[in-house]
Amino acid sequence: MHIDWFVFLAQIFNFLLLMYLLKRFLYGRIIKAMDDREAKIAARFAEADELKTKAEEEAQLYEKRNQSLNEKKETMLNEATLAAEAKRKELMEKVRVEVDAVKARWQDMLVREQNAFFYDLRQRAAKQLYATARKALSDLADADLEERIVDEFLRRVKSLDEEKSAQLRKAIGGGGNRVTIQSAFGIPGPRQKQIEEVLKKQITNGFTIRYLHEPDIVSGIEMRVNGHKIAWSLNEYLETLVESLTETLQKEAHAA
Amino acid sequence: MEIVALSQISPDQVVVWSWNFITLNVTILYTWLVMGILVGGSIWVTRNLSSEMNVSRWQHFLEIVVSIVRGEISEMTKKGADNYVPLIGTLFLFICTSNVLAVVPGYIAPTSSMTTTAALATCVFVAVPYYGISRNGVLHYVKEYFQPNFIFFPFHVMGELSRTLALTVRLFGNIMSHEKVIGILLAVTPFLFPVVMQILGLLIGVIQAYIFAILSMVYIASALSAEDEDHHAEAKKEGSAA
Repeated sequence: MHIDWFVFLAQIFNFLLLMYLLKRFLYGRIIKAMDDREAKIAARFAEADELKTKAEEEAQLYEKRNQSLNEKKETMLNEATLAAEAKRKELMEKVRVEVDAVKARWQDMLVREQNAFFYDLRQRAAKQLYATARKALSDLADADLEERIVDEFLRRVKSLDEEKSAQLRKAIGGGGNRVTIQSAFGIPGPRQKQIEEVLKKQITNGFTIRYLHEPDIVSGIEMRVNGHKIAWSLNEYLETLVESLTETLQKEAHAA
Repeated sequence: MEIVALSQISPDQVVVWSWNFITLNVTILYTWLVMGILVGGSIWVTRNLSSEMNVSRWQHFLEIVVSIVRGEISEMTKKGADNYVPLIGTLFLFICTSNVLAVVPGYIAPTSSMTTTAALATCVFVAVPYYGISRNGVLHYVKEYFQPNFIFFPFHVMGELSRTLALTVRLFGNIMSHEKVIGILLAVTPFLFPVVMQILGLLIGVIQAYIFAILSMVYIASALSAEDEDHHAEAKKEGSAA
């Protein structure tokens, strides 16, 4: 095959020229554009990675904060629960104290009412007993109960020992030589005189006697001298009766 | 009837203008045409390139072409692919454009002239030692011709020459023969069949451009890799001696 050497050289030159022109206008520019784009994409990825890292750090930070807040909340809740429990106990204690106080007041009131009731009962029972006993004594022995009471009183005065008599003398002296005799009934004159004689004989002379009619002294008589007393009444018997009654009532209340 | 025109045997024979030894034939003219299309198109597309995400479709096209060329080169040379893009890319684009334009009536591919294919193969013939020497120096390159011993020197030289000749003749033969076949077929069966052959011709044109470029790269890469292997062997020797 024929080869034209001029054309051959010309084609080599043409090819080298084309290579230079394409390198300048095509490859260089295109490769640069592609590399630039790759660099931009890489930069964006790097930026995205950085943002992601930052976001993860932020997320961890918020997670920690959240955890801390939860722990704090838990602690506060526990403290509040404990405080509420303490307050509840305090209030319960207060209420219990108040209830105890109310209960104590109520029991106190109950005791007072009970006492008043028994006092009243005792008064009535004594009166009834007194009436019954007097009637019985007058029916059976044909004797006046009041006489018996005075007799019993006189017997007691007479039976005083020397020491007691000395105490009474001293007391009468200290009390302005005045003796008060109280009785639930009126004492007739002869009996008053008898009493005076017995007292003078047994204790001392030189005192005045004042008689008082005192219905509260249940079927009895008593002598008061400056803090000393000689007496007989149905009270002591009645007190036994009242104790017995109280015991019975309380037993019944407990049983109820 | 003239079955095969003179211009179809070789475009070199169609001289447009001549003065002394200077001749201007259609090979050179059509080469300039192809050069004009390639350079003009490149300038037109790359006049406002964008490195953003949104680019024009022509820029996309050129980027794909350049990327493919770079990818092919990268598969053979592990590093410095961009050094070979101008040579290999220009070979591919020039041959491909020359061949594809053959569907235009009246156009004669410059690659159907053996002068052109010989010029291209000569460029490759020069480029192989150029790249080899520029990478590793003259001594290393020349030493390769005496491997495994000096007896092989003539065979190496013959190998270089014969593969250059093979490049020349392969491209020339394929394109020229295709045009001849088309010419003969037009005389025998003027309808339809030549169209099929033209379509086949497009495929052949692109494949030949690919083959020429890839073989050129293979030759260059073999020179480079021989140098690299040599370096590796020396490094191993030094390592074992130490």
